[in-house]
Amino acid sequence: MITAINFFQALIIILGAPLVRGIIAQFKARLQRRQGASIWRPYADLAKLFRKEDIVPPTASWVFRFAPIVLFGATVSVAAFVPVVQPSALLASRGDFFLLVYLLALGRFFLSLGALDGGSAFGGMGASREALVSSLAEAPFLLGLAAVAILAAHADIAGIVVWTLRQNVFNISGVHILAFISLAMVTVAETGRMPVDNPTTHLELTMIHEGMVLEYSGPSLALIEWASAVKLHAMLALLIALFDPWGMASSLSGLGIGAALLLYCAKAALFVIVLAVIESGMAKLRMYLVPDFLGVASALSALAVIFTVLAKR
Amino acid sequence: MIVVVTASTGFAFLVGWELMTLVSAGLILMEGDSTERRHNVFIYLMMMHAGAAAVVASFFLFLPYSHSLDFASIRTASASMPAGIRTLIFLLAFVGFGTKAGIIPLHLWLPRAHPIAPSPVSALMSGVMLKTAVYGFVRFAFDFLGGGPSWSGYVVLLAGAVSGLLGVLYAIAEHDLKRLLAYHSVENIGIIYLGLGTSLVFLAHQAPVLAALALIAALLHTFNHALFKSLLFLGAGAISNATHTVDLEELGGLQRRMPVTGATFLIACCSIVGLPLFNGFISEWLTFRSFLAGSLLTNTKAQIVLPLMVGVLALIGGLAAACFVKVFGVAFLGRPHSKEAEHAEEAPLAMRAGMGLLAAACLWIGILPGFFLRPLASLAQVLVPGAGVPEETLSIARIIPWVAVFVLGVGGAAALLKHRRKMVRTWACGLPELSSRMQYTSTAFSKPIRFVFSTVYKPDRKVESLPADQPYFPATISYRSVRTTSYEKALYRPFVDLILSAAHQLRRMQTGNIQVYLLYIFLTLVSLLMFLRFQG
Repeated sequence: MITAINFFQALIIILGAPLVRGIIAQFKARLQRRQGASIWRPYADLAKLFRKEDIVPPTASWVFRFAPIVLFGATVSVAAFVPVVQPSALLASRGDFFLLVYLLALGRFFLSLGALDGGSAFGGMGASREALVSSLAEAPFLLGLAAVAILAAHADIAGIVVWTLRQNVFNISGVHILAFISLAMVTVAETGRMPVDNPTTHLELTMIHEGMVLEYSGPSLALIEWASAVKLHAMLALLIALFDPWGMASSLSGLGIGAALLLYCAKAALFVIVLAVIESGMAKLRMYLVPDFLGVASALSALAVIFTVLAKR
Repeated sequence: MIVVVTASTGFAFLVGWELMTLVSAGLILMEGDSTERRHNVFIYLMMMHAGAAAVVASFFLFLPYSHSLDFASIRTASASMPAGIRTLIFLLAFVGFGTKAGIIPLHLWLPRAHPIAPSPVSALMSGVMLKTAVYGFVRFAFDFLGGGPSWSGYVVLLAGAVSGLLGVLYAIAEHDLKRLLAYHSVENIGIIYLGLGTSLVFLAHQAPVLAALALIAALLHTFNHALFKSLLFLGAGAISNATHTVDLEELGGLQRRMPVTGATFLIACCSIVGLPLFNGFISEWLTFRSFLAGSLLTNTKAQIVLPLMVGVLALIGGLAAACFVKVFGVAFLGRPHSKEAEHAEEAPLAMRAGMGLLAAACLWIGILPGFFLRPLASLAQVLVPGAGVPEETLSIARIIPWVAVFVLGVGGAAALLKHRRKMVRTWACGLPELSSRMQYTSTAFSKPIRFVFSTVYKPDRKVESLPADQPYFPATISYRSVRTTSYEKALYRPFVDLILSAAHQLRRMQTGNIQVYLLYIFLTLVSLLMFLRFQG
């Protein structure tokens, strides 16, 4: 039973991911006084891409074709680590958040290689910039998670969630505020959203993620797009699970699960709206201001770790 | 090298240690001889002997208490030794073995010796010889001294953090493949020392189980590094065999020409970066876990410092990933940057088999680590008395195979999707065709990171465009950027000057007159006789 629910949780993250993207795009369009595309549009895009043919440069090796598959496999596996409707997960284990971060790194490593294999200048440019952003984002990511883990005295995400559920909602701790801000900044950087990267641009001065996937087409592109949607959704679900899990089902009754699912959707929608507002209201940072952005995130997460010892909350 | 690790007395250990240095120096010189090579080997020998002197001294400091260089008697004697002597022994062993291991700032010989050594020798030196230094240090710090005050752990942690960060940053800026790999050895020794330091801190705070965990992490990383670094150097050897260069700017597109070398090299890259399902991840995960466990101690300093090391190791890992995307991407993918790379031939069967074996070992440990963790756990129990098997080693061995099943299952399902494939040249923005000159080079790839960390590199840039009177339509542009941070200047120069001036003073004794030398001998004899007379 619990395995079935855990499986269902992972499916929510994987299958709901394009919807999250659709809602962000729709809400951004409304903020800009446009009508915008339907929120189901990303699904149609994926279906269209899966039907098309793969276009491969003749100079590329198998790494080019292999990269989207590894990216997809690694990123989808991340979904199996995050609790959604009740505090457990399919692949939960002690110290699993290190595994989660490094699975994301595995996907990114291969995507960067695929970009370099395309043989054009844009792929190298995207991969080079991605290398900068991701290498600096890893430290605040792990430090932020470590701070929350130390506070909860649990080394697994599910254990942290169980501990957080027992706390008073209104008794907000300093560690949580610091860790949340730094992890939110990392989420923005990791998933390539504004102000670090603009997901809608194709201008060589600014693109990071789009530069890497420029040579991909057809099913390969579909896998990449789906994987990056899953990554965004999994990170959102992770933030919700760590910092706002109240309402998750504590027993395995159908009613509890249903209520938890509805509540999760509401919380995710709130996060998505905030993200859309931020994206519409901010300009993209200059490339070399991104390290400062991540430096702030690192400092906040380091402070969070220090607070766990000195303030104990 | 085998003598060193099997020795049970200090004397045999030292003989093996010296032999190892001398033989490896000879091996480095195997491929030709020139003034520059001799200079580099001389530096190597110099530093090794300075290190060996420290090791010898630390062994001899045991003598007054143990009356023998037998390991067993040293072990029993060390408990009754005064704290000052123990501190001195620890520091001497730290410096002596640190020189061999190549921790910053004692790493100077590494990037000099490796590029000139033949690749199999590099593989042996980096894969095995550095490990004997780690072995020696573990022997001293854990077996003989049985841990020490907590500051000694912090010293080792600091050395590990500095070596790890600076090692990987210097590696990113390199485009000579073998020198880059040598800097990565510095980085990985840093990671190993991070584990050892954590273990010492735990020992000092009476947490034997956690100390065992950190020690297992360090030892496993030592073993892993031997595997993947040997594989990387063998790959570099195959490349240099096929193209006669190890300059990344001259390579490119090798994956299509050398598929087996490329695939095994890719596995090694993933392993050294510490990606899940490869062996490097297991040891880095254990190191991360032992940092996190620092919060369980009651000492405030340890509670803050150890968890913060999570960030340091994460930064090292992130930068290493950036570096190996560069290495593999620029050398093996895309288009060839030179004629040699265009006509490269696959390595012969024997070389491919050797690389395949190492790659298989990397994957085996990465996916089924339990088999290797069990013997390491029992070893750690010997070195850290009173420690059970840390629970963490079991949990990682349990979860990793499931993660592998999940990743491979999802990836396999995605790979089975029906693909129609069409070969079309990459669009060149309207130009007739892309050329390899339009690709990102190694230097270009690392530019953003070098820019962000320019305080570390202090680059000296020079841009010259010709002709000088037409700044907007230059015919040729030459660009040069050199890293100017130099340990030779800042750290070693004063030291070398001191030794040289001391040598000048000593030279006054050398008159060249045989009567004076006879006088010296006579005086020595008399003083020795007097010493014997009055001592008895």
